[in-house]
Amino acid sequence: MTINREKRISYAVLVTPAVLIYLLVVAFPTVFSVFLSFTNYNGGVIFGNSNIQLIGFDSYIWMFTEPVRSFYTALNNNLLIVAVSVFGQIPLGFILAYILSRKLITRGRGFFQTMIFLPNVISAIIIGVLFNAFIISPYSVFMEIKKLINPNAEFVLNTQPIIPVLFVILWMFTGFYMVIFLAHMQRIDPAIIEAAKVDGATEGRILTKIVLPVMTSEIVTCSILAISGSLKTFDLIYAMTAGGPAGQTRVLSLFMYEAAFRGAPNYPLANAISTVMVLISVILIIVTRQLGKIFSEKGD
Amino acid sequence: MTNKKYKEIIVNGIYRVILYIILGLFTFLAIYPILWLLLQSFKTNQVYLTTNKLSLPAVWYFGNYPRIWNNAGLSDGFSNFFKNSLIYTTITVTAVVLFANMAGYAFAKIQYRITKLLHGLFIVGILLTIQSILIPLFLMINSAGIFNTRLGILIPYIGLGLPMGVYLCTDFIKKGIPNELLESSRIDGAGFLTTFARIVFPMCAPVSVTLAIITFTGTWNEFILMNLLTAGDRYKAIPAAVGRFAGSLGADYGRLFTTLSLSIIPILAFYLAFRNQITKGVAAGAVKG
Repeated sequence: MTINREKRISYAVLVTPAVLIYLLVVAFPTVFSVFLSFTNYNGGVIFGNSNIQLIGFDSYIWMFTEPVRSFYTALNNNLLIVAVSVFGQIPLGFILAYILSRKLITRGRGFFQTMIFLPNVISAIIIGVLFNAFIISPYSVFMEIKKLINPNAEFVLNTQPIIPVLFVILWMFTGFYMVIFLAHMQRIDPAIIEAAKVDGATEGRILTKIVLPVMTSEIVTCSILAISGSLKTFDLIYAMTAGGPAGQTRVLSLFMYEAAFRGAPNYPLANAISTVMVLISVILIIVTRQLGKIFSEKGD
Repeated sequence: MTNKKYKEIIVNGIYRVILYIILGLFTFLAIYPILWLLLQSFKTNQVYLTTNKLSLPAVWYFGNYPRIWNNAGLSDGFSNFFKNSLIYTTITVTAVVLFANMAGYAFAKIQYRITKLLHGLFIVGILLTIQSILIPLFLMINSAGIFNTRLGILIPYIGLGLPMGVYLCTDFIKKGIPNELLESSRIDGAGFLTTFARIVFPMCAPVSVTLAIITFTGTWNEFILMNLLTAGDRYKAIPAAVGRFAGSLGADYGRLFTTLSLSIIPILAFYLAFRNQITKGVAAGAVKG
């Protein structure tokens, strides 16, 4: 066996399992979903079915113009989740990481980090069911507290049902951003901060002049994660509110799931929704990266 | 001078107290709902409904646990879901770690032009959301006749773990394993595959551990695919089972809380045992952006 032949065979043996499974399970279905969104396929035999016809952008036009505006309700909820991340989780996570990285915290650093990150490791389905019982149900802790304040309080349906969902999202993922920021802050040489202090720099100046500039790229990374995280949100809402009441807490993923798998299937619509989701995430990621470049150039 | 130093100690002391109060508050907020859940699981439904929701159980009732473990109120007890979870995570983690290391070695150290394309494909996969493949995957699994089987769950699970795995392994092998070492192994007459088995794979232990932990938590907690690709309870793992419980057991809070508690105890134990590796893994995985 020549060396070249051995090299080629080895390469094939090494990459084939991963590539084959990946193409089958991720790459092909992604392309296939985009294709299906332009057809009228709606159940039944899929491969070799001659009744499947191309219908162009019909599903997209219907989705954008139907009178109930389900698509916009869902999109709006996705944007609210991004807002909770950008204005809630990321700043809070940053502050907590900053506190934990300071020399003043001499004991319990590992303990605090472990506990604040803890909600992240639990399945979002379980968190959703838990918080349904904790906040939403008539027998919830929230209701109990309301009764403590006003003994005559009655159970009423929330007029802004997305608020408890956003609250739980804030609760669950703040620790995630804290861990990312903390990992990078610990790489800042403490001697630099000490030197700045000797020169009389205040805490505020250390934060804005030393820590923030170093962390710009991590903040951009976290914003990207927040956007893709928002698009991935499904389990929590499925378990907590099931998108209800009347679809008010639906996000795009749940809208897509219901179109495809609940009641009468509408695969063309569902495929159109998922194609839009892929597009949004790609566009936002490109935009955020460009912003990151501008930021880092200014930093230099 | 001493006065100034004295002042500094006091200011630092006040700062420190404030910082610890903030950290303590956030810690309390993070774990209170979970502690609350664990405590409520020791009440019967009747007691939960009629007493203060914030109170500790006046009488500790342990009966919920054996009932849920043996008969979850669906066709199988919780023990079956636990067993399924273990099977899915064990096989998925093993396959992802092995396949990702193999591909990572080839991509990092064996020069071929196609590497750029293949590796790029995996990187794109990291950014994709699972919803964009749900319908095609559902149709394919049905067409292949593996709907509601373990195989029909495992193949997608392995595929979804690979993008992050290939990214982490390629990166680690490229930076962490010197070419000289691999060349000397080849001079000694070892082929590429032998070199992988004897040198590369063992040296990849750190990245394999990180990858195993990320894959473990992801697989253990996965819901949407499992919910879609199984019917009935026989092949469901814990989250998908809980998804069904929530509907049918919603009226019995004692059993609901027990089911949720049983679901989180294994992953909490895993987290507390590997907390440092898990938080490190999260930070490593996040760099992908």
